[in-house]
Amino acid sequence: MTHLLSLHDVSKIFAQSKHEVRAVDEVSLDVDEGECLAVVGESGSGKSTLANMILGIYPPSIGTISFRGEVLPGKRELAHRRAIQLVQQNPLSSLNPQRSIGASLRLPLDVHGLGERSQRSDRVGQLLEEVGLPADYAGRSPASLSGGQRQRVAIARALACESDLVVLDEPTSALDVLVQARVLKLLNDLRRKRGLTYVFITHDLSVVRNIADRVAVFERGRLVELNPTGKVFSDPDHAYTRRLIGAVPVVTAEEVRLRNHLMKKENVSA
Amino acid sequence: MTAPTLLIRDLYLAFRGWAGQIDVLHGISLHINKGERVALVGESGSGKSVTARIILGLLQQTRSARVSGLVAFEGRALAKLTEAERHRLRGNRISMIFQDPMSSLNPVYRIGEQFHEVLKRAEPRIAPAAAREKAAAALADVAIPDPNRALDSYAFQLSGGMNQRVMIAMALANEPSLLIADEPGTALDVTVQAQTLELMRDLVAKHHTSVLFISHNLGVVREFADRVYVIYKGRIVEHGRTADLFADPRHPYTRALLAAVPRITGEGVPEIDDVSEDYFQPLVVHEGCAEPEVTG
Ligand SMILES: Nc1ncnc2c1ncn2[C@@H]1O[C@H](COP(=O)(O)OP(=O)(O)OP(=O)(O)O)[C@@H](O)[C@H]1O
Ligand SMILES: Nc1ncnc2c1ncn2[C@@H]1O[C@H](COP(=O)(O)OP(=O)(O)OP(=O)(O)O)[C@@H](O)[C@H]1O
Ligand SMILES: [Mg+2]
Ligand SMILES: [Mg+2]
Repeated sequence: MTHLLSLHDVSKIFAQSKHEVRAVDEVSLDVDEGECLAVVGESGSGKSTLANMILGIYPPSIGTISFRGEVLPGKRELAHRRAIQLVQQNPLSSLNPQRSIGASLRLPLDVHGLGERSQRSDRVGQLLEEVGLPADYAGRSPASLSGGQRQRVAIARALACESDLVVLDEPTSALDVLVQARVLKLLNDLRRKRGLTYVFITHDLSVVRNIADRVAVFERGRLVELNPTGKVFSDPDHAYTRRLIGAVPVVTAEEVRLRNHLMKKENVSA
Repeated sequence: MTAPTLLIRDLYLAFRGWAGQIDVLHGISLHINKGERVALVGESGSGKSVTARIILGLLQQTRSARVSGLVAFEGRALAKLTEAERHRLRGNRISMIFQDPMSSLNPVYRIGEQFHEVLKRAEPRIAPAAAREKAAAALADVAIPDPNRALDSYAFQLSGGMNQRVMIAMALANEPSLLIADEPGTALDVTVQAQTLELMRDLVAKHHTSVLFISHNLGVVREFADRVYVIYKGRIVEHGRTADLFADPRHPYTRALLAAVPRITGEGVPEIDDVSEDYFQPLVVHEGCAEPEVTG
């Protein structure tokens, strides 16, 4: 069976005048159609770099990335640009400040010729409502939105394309938990209805626990653990994973117990 | 009794646009005593960042914004200061960690150069070499693995979390008396987040810094703050000491927020309404948390 997305020995090396950074180091992994793969790991471990390579923003230094069994070229065709969408980590810089929210959401519909031309403005309103924003926000500028409102616009824009694979880089980090729950439910529904596939990059392990099928853990550019979610949270293979879960800020006593349980194992194995 | 570091009373904010007036803050009051860590949590779009911008005196200059109410820093009303005096407070006595690090770091200067500018606000004659040494130490404090590389980098060459830590280090560098931290941990992994919060806690304790901590993450708030204000659509709906508020949340909106936190024990995505008439119920103040008298 071919996977939706496959990375084969992918590395990315950045050369800065005096320094060289191995941001992603020999990573191989497969993502299946319809799954939600969470990518977690320390800050600076290469997660956004991985996302940028999957999107073709820059190519890997070494290794290849294939989509439906086909090696993706450095320069992507329109069809691939529609099939793979990205919600960027930084919602402010990813929206054009000169363009109204409505125009930003409409652009992908026009570029890819999605839906009837006459219905596209309605579609824009509908997309906004799906992420919990009033339809009349279409007329506003990015600068007049709060951080979380911009993040939701970025999510709506990625969903507008009806793509196959969506890479979400910290998509809910600026959202309060109620809106986050709404967005996560929307993502789950779309996955069920349209068979969407997600690569979900996040620091929020509580979110990961509740929406991911599998979890990939990165440390300094390397993939150190890749396991089903249940396993990662009950009996992780790698000490770094255990440390991560042990540091999650939690709100209930039950969670504190789970955390302590994992930390105890960590001390035994250390 | 000395005046609180920050006192806000009946703060209103509205924006005028083509579509008429948008009311954003409906008369909020809050205060932070010296050395206290106070959290402001609530809905996305409820008015947390605009409140921070008003404290910095930034929104008052925006033509479309209408601000009224009292904002006093160490007993002095901001409105009574000259623009030059307000400018001197910013980045020095009052510093801010912005929600969006990419928008507040300048893309065309290296981090080292920007850090030098920050240090100059407190110490105008600091030499580049001394500034670099101080900056490198500050970056090491926030667990940036290779501070010298970070100082030689532009913001786009660092990861999201690294930029956020750069911002945190800059905000703490001049030992402000009020630190406003707007979502300071969102791009950090949990181990670095815990470490950064620990560092903030230490510095704040050492210099008696007051902190306004804006966050969506209730787990982090529970671990970091002394007191919590919960805000919903421009109104404070609940206020209490952290332990009391988490043990006994009384406002329907606070209860919904707590119930909506996904658990690492894994019960699925919580099913809770994100809008409800109940969330507009009046303010609940826990015992011993009344707002202080306004003096002077
Ligand atoms: N354009 C670039 N030039 C030079 N170095 C870069 C560039 N982009 C990223 N890096 C470096 O690559 C490493 C990985 O960065 P990346 O943004 O992928 O991390 P991340 O896992 O997304 O971290 P975070 O969780 O903080 O967002 C970092 O050390 C970063 O400084
Ligand atoms: N310049 C502006 N013009 C019009 N409306 C604005 C402007 N700036 C902010 N707003 C509106 O004011 C409200 C409060 O914004 P603010 O940025 O304070 O939200 P927030 O509580 O920080 O939310 P988040 O958690 O999403 O960052 C939002 O509904 C926003 O759309
Ligand atoms: Mg990143
Ligand atoms: Mg905000």
